[in-house]
Amino acid sequence: MLLIRPLQEQDLDDLMVMAEAAGKGLTTLPANRDLLSQKITQAQDSFNQRCKPEAGLFLFALEDTDLKRCVGISGIQARVGLDEVFYNYRVSTTVNASRELGVHVRTPTLHLTNDMTDTTEICSLLLSDSHRKGGNGLLLSRCRFMFLDDFRRHFSEKVFAEMRGVSDSQGHSPLWDALGSRFFDMEFGQADYLTGIGQKAFIAELMPKYPIYLPLLPPSAREVIGQVHENTAPALRMLQAEGFNFNGLVDIFDGGPVVEAFIHNIRTVRESVNRHVLLRHKPVDMDVPASERVMVSNRSFRDFRVTTVPASCISPDTISLPPEVAEALEVDSGELVRLAPLKDAGPAPIHGGATAP
Amino acid sequence: MWLVRPAQPEDVDGILQLAADHCSQLSSTIPKSREGLAARIELSCQSFAGERGPDRYQRFLFVLVDSKDNQVQGVAGIDGRAGNGQPFYNYRMDALIHSSHELGVSRRVDVLYPSHALTDRTLLGAFVIAPGLCDSDAFELLSRARMLFMACHRNWFSDRMVVEIQGIQTDAGEVPFWDSLGRHFFDMDFDTADRYSGMLSKTFIAELMPPNPIYVTLLSESAQQALGQAHPATRRTVALLQQEGFHGGNYVDIFDGGPVLEARTNNLKTMVTCQRKQLRSTDAEDGELCLLARGEGLDFRCTLSGVSEALDEVIRAPLTVLHNLECESGCDVMVAPL
Repeated sequence: MLLIRPLQEQDLDDLMVMAEAAGKGLTTLPANRDLLSQKITQAQDSFNQRCKPEAGLFLFALEDTDLKRCVGISGIQARVGLDEVFYNYRVSTTVNASRELGVHVRTPTLHLTNDMTDTTEICSLLLSDSHRKGGNGLLLSRCRFMFLDDFRRHFSEKVFAEMRGVSDSQGHSPLWDALGSRFFDMEFGQADYLTGIGQKAFIAELMPKYPIYLPLLPPSAREVIGQVHENTAPALRMLQAEGFNFNGLVDIFDGGPVVEAFIHNIRTVRESVNRHVLLRHKPVDMDVPASERVMVSNRSFRDFRVTTVPASCISPDTISLPPEVAEALEVDSGELVRLAPLKDAGPAPIHGGATAP
Repeated sequence: MWLVRPAQPEDVDGILQLAADHCSQLSSTIPKSREGLAARIELSCQSFAGERGPDRYQRFLFVLVDSKDNQVQGVAGIDGRAGNGQPFYNYRMDALIHSSHELGVSRRVDVLYPSHALTDRTLLGAFVIAPGLCDSDAFELLSRARMLFMACHRNWFSDRMVVEIQGIQTDAGEVPFWDSLGRHFFDMDFDTADRYSGMLSKTFIAELMPPNPIYVTLLSESAQQALGQAHPATRRTVALLQQEGFHGGNYVDIFDGGPVLEARTNNLKTMVTCQRKQLRSTDAEDGELCLLARGEGLDFRCTLSGVSEALDEVIRAPLTVLHNLECESGCDVMVAPL
C-alpha cells in the first residue's frame, strides 16, 4: 500500500538518497544531511503545532508500506517571505508611444517584487524513480490540496508553486548567464544550491533592483522567461488541470513561472466530498488502475494520512474500507473521511450530494 | 579676413549649404529644414537684441564668414539655459556597490541614471565648420568668439557650462550605444531619431526613453566601449575645450553615449585672460595674434588679428580690422591671446 503521512526522523536516510538522485534542479531539497534533518524537525514542529502557524512547513512522506520505506515527498510552506525576503520578477509591459513620431513600442520589463510575501507555497515534490507510476506523483501532489482545504485557517487564500525554469543538461540557465551572473560571479548551480540552503535572499540582495528591459537581454535569455524545464512540464500540466495559472511572476534566477490558484477553486478541493467509514471484511480487489482510484484522507492535522482505494468502494453515504486500509489511515468505523479523484477526468467519488447538478 | 558675427536671416542659405555639405557624419543641433532654421535664426536675433532676457531662454547663433565674400564657413551656438525651459536629459554614470555581508561578496555595478541635473546650465553647441578650416586659426576663432561674447554679456549666462560632444559612430553610420539601448524603445535608427530630435526637440525624444536606470553590464560590448567616448572627428573641438578648462564629468548623451564636458564659466581661459582695451589703427601688420571682439548684442563682431601693444589701455591693429569690426579708432574692444 502507498500511504501519505507526515515526514518523520526515520525518513532521513531515504530522503538523502532521493535528494542525491535528484541532483541539481531540486532547489528546495539539496542533498545536505544537516539541512534535511533540520527540515524534518521543522515539519514535525509544524504538524504538532509547536511553532507559529505562519512558520509552518508541512512535509508529507509517501511510504511504501510493503517496503517500509519513504519513496516520495511533497510539502507546503505555510507562508513565504516572513523570515527572509521572497523575490520574484514580475513580467510587465512598458509602452513608449508618440503619435507625432508614429512610435508605439511595447517593451517587456522585469520588475523585482516581493508580491508573494505571506502566501502559501506548495513545494519540494520528489518521487523515487522506482515509484513513478500508477498515479503516485498525483497522490503526492494532490494530497496537499485536501490538507490545505481542511485546515484553511493555517494558510493564505491563494497558494502558489514556483516551477523549475529552463536549464541545459550541464545545469546552465540562459537567463542566469545573461542576467544573474552579470551581477554575481557564480554558476547557476551554485546559486541554486545556496538558494536551497536558505541563502536566496542574500543572493537577491546582490541582484539588480531596477527594472530590467528585456530587449537588452539576448534572445536565448528572453525566450526562457516564463518557461518550464522539460522535466517539469508534466507537473505544470497537472497543476494547470487543478486550476493553477501563471500569475505573471517568474523566478529571479532561471525565469521559471509562478503558478497560483485560490484554494476554493482547486479542482481536487471542489470535487472532494466527505463520507463515513464503513469497515468491510469481505476482500476487495485493490489492484485497479489509477483512473479508477480515489484518494481518501483521514482529515487529521497532526497525523494527516492519505491513501487510494478503488472508486467502487464508494456508496451514497459511506465508503467501505478494508481493515488494513482503515488501520493505515488510523480511522474507525463511522468516522468522516475525505475523498477526491486521483486522476483528471477520473470518476468523481460522488453519488448525489454536494456537487450534483 | 575671418569674422564671427550674429547669424542673420539672409544667412539661411549659407548655413543650409554648410550643414548639407559637412553634417552627414557629425550631427548637430542645427535644424535641417529651411523653416526650422529660419525660426532658429529669428530666435537668435531676438536674443542678441536683448528682446528676450535670460529668463526667456536665449539661444544665440554665430556664423563664421570670410569678410571678402561674406560666405558662411562655420556656425556655432550658445543656449543661455540648457533645455530652454524644458528638462535637459543626460545619463549620469554612477556606481552601486552590491554587497552581502553573509556571502562576503562586494561588487561594483555601473548604472546610467536619467538625469536633469544639467538643466539651465549654459550650453555650447551647434558647432559646424567647413572641413578645410578644421586645422586653421578660424576654428579657434569660431569656438572662442562665444566665450568673448559671454565675457561681454556675463549676466546673461549661468555660472556653469556644459558641452555635449558627439559620440562614437562607425563609418557605416551605426551608433553602437543607440543600437544597444535607444533603438529598442523607438524602433528607428539613429539618423531618424536624430532628425526628429532636430525637428521637434531633444527633450521630446528623451522623454520617450525609459525612465528607469540602465545597468551598463546589460549593454552590448561595443556600446559599453562607446560610453563616454568622443567621436574621433571631434578631436580638435575637445582639445580646444579642454584648453579652455572644460573637463569630462559623469554625464553622457542619452542617444550616442558621447561625453558631456563641464566647466565653471568664470574659470574659462578666455574669460580669465581677456581684457578690455581701446583699439587704435596702425600700419604695422605684425604683432601677437589675438582674438578681438567688440559690440553689444547684434553688433557683436569678433575677428583675429596681429595686435601690437601701445600704452597700457591701448592696442593697435591694422585699419582693415577696425573696418571688419565696424568700429572707429579709439573704441572699446575685448582682446584675448590666441
